Amino acid sequence: MNLLETCGLTRRYAGLVAVDHVDLVVPRGGIHAVIGPNGAGKTTLFNLISGLVVPSEGSIHLAGQDVTARPTHVRAALGIGRTFQNIRIFGEMSVLENVLTGAHARLRASLVSIALRLPGFRSEERQAVAAAREALALVGLSERAAQPASSLPYGDQRRLEIARAMAGQPLLLLLDEPAAGMNPAETTALAGLVRRIADAGTTVLLVEHDMGFVMSLSDHITVLNFGRKIFEGKPAAVRSEPAVVEAYLGARLAAKLRAAHA
Amino acid sequence: MMPAWLASDWTIPAGLDDFLWTYGHLINSLGINGLLALSMYVVLAVGQLSLGQAAFMGLGAYSSVLMTLTLKLPFYVVLPASCLVPVLFALAVGVPTLRLSGVYLAIATIGLGEVLRALYLNVDVFGGALGINGIPERAQTWMIFGMLILALLGLWLVGRSRIGRAMEAMREDATAAAVMGVNVPGYQLGALVASAVLAGIAGCLSAHQSSFIGPNEYGFEPAVTILSFALLGGIGTPVAPVVGAWILTLLPELLRGFSDLRLVFNGLIIVVAVLFLPHGLLGWRMRRRAA
Ligand SMILES: Nc1ncnc2c1ncn2[C@@H]1O[C@H](COP(=O)(O)OP(=O)(O)OP(=O)(O)O)[C@@H](O)[C@H]1O
Ligand SMILES: [Mg+2]
Repeated sequence: MNLLETCGLTRRYAGLVAVDHVDLVVPRGGIHAVIGPNGAGKTTLFNLISGLVVPSEGSIHLAGQDVTARPTHVRAALGIGRTFQNIRIFGEMSVLENVLTGAHARLRASLVSIALRLPGFRSEERQAVAAAREALALVGLSERAAQPASSLPYGDQRRLEIARAMAGQPLLLLLDEPAAGMNPAETTALAGLVRRIADAGTTVLLVEHDMGFVMSLSDHITVLNFGRKIFEGKPAAVRSEPAVVEAYLGARLAAKLRAAHA
Repeated sequence: MMPAWLASDWTIPAGLDDFLWTYGHLINSLGINGLLALSMYVVLAVGQLSLGQAAFMGLGAYSSVLMTLTLKLPFYVVLPASCLVPVLFALAVGVPTLRLSGVYLAIATIGLGEVLRALYLNVDVFGGALGINGIPERAQTWMIFGMLILALLGLWLVGRSRIGRAMEAMREDATAAAVMGVNVPGYQLGALVASAVLAGIAGCLSAHQSSFIGPNEYGFEPAVTILSFALLGGIGTPVAPVVGAWILTLLPELLRGFSDLRLVFNGLIIVVAVLFLPHGLLGWRMRRRAA
């Protein structure tokens, strides 16, 4: 069974169709990429999958279950985690608290257990803190745990978002331009991180403009343009379709793509 | 019902007796306003704005007084039951408005206060403009402060848990909080209900220590005063709004001569707090990091 299936997924805004009848199939495991020029509808697609935007048409299934009508927090509990293109950390909370908040859907202690500090609450909280520290170690932010999240440099904030999403132990992790604003060294480290996450069993769906990053990591690529799926296949297939790439991604990206894999 | 050690015949030194005689009402007000400040805090803590705290308080006051005078229920039943009617109204206002953006709750709760005021004025059981007199003074100072301490402790403990993290996350970015699995509308409604419970209890306690309640005690003006408690103190911890309430309760006593300017003063506090003290006087956050 596929982990994620969208069927005829559509989102219209006044005067434009941001996502236009997209059928997307993401099998369990591996790294899948969605690429396309600015305004192609990639972020809107992520918003539809995570429930922040209501589809005009179409359906979304997660692990065989229809989640189209499920609110965002339920989808999170069912295993959809994500990061944001425009960083959305909780700036006043500490780095560790941000990650702990990411584990919210997994924590079960009842109000009574919390108010009375019953052992169930205490042990759950201890485990959550341990897991959060592990997530921070995974992204290399252990030393920053006690700092206010807003004090982190930009690249670290992006990695914090990944740690926060991973704290929820998602089945599917949506990364919206994780390398944006990173320098080449940071981008290389990020590629290693995404690879480790996928190897540990989380399925990754990735939106990224850095074509070197996408080509080297992805098992499968879906190309969107003007909201429509115009191509999908292995990176090699995307690469070997210069006409498609040039026509739909524009000459600039096409040149970049060739440069990255000349 | 009262434990023996709380029964009245323990000896109070004469000086303390005089002090309590003179300042008993003020001391009770500190406790009651502390509870009201917490009722405001719970809503602000999830990033919502309600101006219904005084209305919830009024519902608690009127319903509890009717339970005492008409149904002749004992106070240990009346006090917990005083939150029922406020909670029903919180649900009635919260369910339709919380799905919309934050402003709607503020507007709906202002409306609630005005509708209720008209109701108290025009329906006979509520005593009309004269209000209700002859309420037995059953709320003891220890009960008021017992409730305040209980509320503070509860909010503190809940604040230091996944629920507290979720509340702060919602306040910062409700969208991101939802993506983390926080049931944002659920928490918003829960906070409004909790705030109605606190305000209802405060209303019951206040009515049962002043012998009189009237329709004008629960209108827009007290609603703004309650908001200013939390704005002055801040909402970083539950203690902060209580300190804000105490300052704003004690200041008018110190500035007796200016009591006409009370509303002006509260307005000024709100403006100054919003402009210069975005986190209130007590700006520090609750430490929530486990060791
Ligand atoms: N809330 C909205 N209201 C109106 N139009 C919107 C809204 N959100 C997105 N759009 C439009 O939908 C289209 C797709 O936007 P989207 O953000 O999904 O693109 P994208 O592929 O993520 O682009 P980028 O690479 O720049 O991030 C754009 O034309 C955008 O202006
Ligand atoms: Mg985008």
